[in-house]
Amino acid sequence: MRLLLVEDEQALRESLALSLRESGFVVDAVADGEEGLYYGKEHPIDIAIIDLGLPQMSGMELISSLRAAEKNFPILILTARDRWQDKVNGLEAGADDYVVKPFHTEEILARINALLRRRGGWAEAVLRAGPIALDTRAQQVTVDGNGIDLTSYEYKVLEHLMMSSGRVVSKTELTESLYEQDFERDSNVIEVFVGRLRRKLDPANTLKPIETLRGRGYRFALE
Amino acid sequence: MSSLSARLLLAVSLVLAVFFGATVAVLDSAFRNAAEQAVEGRLDVQIFLLLAEAEPDSEGGLALPDRLPEPRFSAAGSGLFGQIDDTQGNTIWRSLSAVGTELPMGPGGALGERLFTRTQLDDGRPVFLHTLNVEWEFEDGSVAGYQFGVAESLEPFLDQVRRYRGQLFGWFAGLAVALVITLGLLLRWVLGPLRQIEREIGEVEVGNRPLLSREYPRELQGLTRNTNRLIRAERTRLERYRNTLGNLAHSLKTPLAVIRTLLEKGERNNDAEIGSQLSRMDEIIGYQLNRAAASGGVTLGHKPVPVAEVVASLVRSLDKVYADRQPSCEIAIDERAKFYGDRGDFTEICGNLLDNAYKYCRSQVSVHGKHLPSDHRAGLRLVIEDDGPGIPEADADAVLNRGVRADERADGQGIGLAVVREIVEVCGGRLLIDRSPLGGARFTVGFDPD
Repeated sequence: MRLLLVEDEQALRESLALSLRESGFVVDAVADGEEGLYYGKEHPIDIAIIDLGLPQMSGMELISSLRAAEKNFPILILTARDRWQDKVNGLEAGADDYVVKPFHTEEILARINALLRRRGGWAEAVLRAGPIALDTRAQQVTVDGNGIDLTSYEYKVLEHLMMSSGRVVSKTELTESLYEQDFERDSNVIEVFVGRLRRKLDPANTLKPIETLRGRGYRFALE
Repeated sequence: MSSLSARLLLAVSLVLAVFFGATVAVLDSAFRNAAEQAVEGRLDVQIFLLLAEAEPDSEGGLALPDRLPEPRFSAAGSGLFGQIDDTQGNTIWRSLSAVGTELPMGPGGALGERLFTRTQLDDGRPVFLHTLNVEWEFEDGSVAGYQFGVAESLEPFLDQVRRYRGQLFGWFAGLAVALVITLGLLLRWVLGPLRQIEREIGEVEVGNRPLLSREYPRELQGLTRNTNRLIRAERTRLERYRNTLGNLAHSLKTPLAVIRTLLEKGERNNDAEIGSQLSRMDEIIGYQLNRAAASGGVTLGHKPVPVAEVVASLVRSLDKVYADRQPSCEIAIDERAKFYGDRGDFTEICGNLLDNAYKYCRSQVSVHGKHLPSDHRAGLRLVIEDDGPGIPEADADAVLNRGVRADERADGQGIGLAVVREIVEVCGGRLLIDRSPLGGARFTVGFDPD
């Protein structure tokens, strides 16, 4: 999952970005609204965390501009002002949830996971499709209640596919949600991850949870 | 022109001057006309008197007797003069009073026409001159033209006009002075309450009086009531700031002391305790500053806040935040319902109560707003309820009072409701908690009509 973090305070931005990366997010961390708007428009962002008090372009303007540019990824606001008037202004500008400073990092993780799940149409923290269950909090996957041992990249691919359930996800999108920089992209890597996922989730090849659409990408097809 | 009384007096004096001036001018001219006509009438009589006395003499001319019925013709300096000219302009008779003077008769008018003019004698004395051209038929049948003239000195007339004017001006001046004095007294009486306000505000300023008194005329009551409201709000706000700063300083010192002690002991593994003290400080700051941020009560300069609009935008926001649970929120708010105060305060009140309802409800939240009409400032009753577990009656007070002294407060939630209660009360309303027919808590915010 690719996350845009816009926060002007360096210490907070760096420690939050670190926690988010540890939780498996690909993070674009920027310090001001202008830059935030650029990343929001140019990168395939899945979710954004935006501080309301930013230099140059305020958080509120940034949210409005992103929404005006038809960027519909969920946005979580960080704000030091906890008056309701401020929260309402942010939410009415197009944000989806807010967290008041100071906060616990777990609170932020819980909120963004909830927003991502909601975006994918999932109501609970554990995504269930047939016998497959993916726990977004514990980052664990079970099939028929038996734990499956996945590498971090394999988990990210599965999570992204399940969060986008029913939608076709291109290889480029998957690559960008896995890596921060424009590495030399070798689409074979994705194919390798998907192949390994299929074997681990469905050794008997009866469920067929991940469809391949030739030339277009993959789709998680299990209800 | 900074004084209202001076403005009014000046305006009224100008109006009076114009009005009285015009009246005096009209009366004066009417009187002069009447007096002139009286003179003309009198001179008319004198001319006919001369005509009646005239007799043909032995030389075929006209003659008048030495003694005339009007003695003023005979007395020198009487101011009444008589003269008869023939058609050639030769004076054939002149009254004794006119000896040595020539009446400037001129050609006169047509036959039988009387002419009344104002003119001067040759010595410069102003006179009224009345002339009449006649034809005299003698017994032998011959006819001769004569011009009869009578003049009267202008002095008595001018004296009369002068006397009349003196009286007229005297009366009107007296009347004007009386009017201005009466108006001045009236103004003192009418503007008295304004002077009283000025005096009372001065007293409030130096602290000799808490508020403006209530005994004011109806027209000023809006002013004094709002001034009092402003004074009270200012005083409450100041008190609140002072209390907030005091409480803030006081209540932050306890967790700070704990942290310092922990650091001084130099033991390891204090992180959890320091963390909990930090959360406590965070809560204290949140609670105290939110209370102080309430602008509280003062409605001057605020547009009334439309209740339905604020609630609708809060519900939209909360629907987003609680999207996982999606409680159904029923809203029934009178379109006329308004909150008279600061929008931020009202949003804070409703935001906390609605957030509370969304947080604790099972599936249903309901908001009702009622408009309580009044001539001056309408009241408002806002009821927010849910179908959650509710708040036991015994705990209601505790919930509302929690956090009054932040350093005595136990950890946990509930600061929101205490803040709501404070803001509602600062704005002059009441907050009640009881059980909703839906099963959960029911919060009623009431602002009485004013």
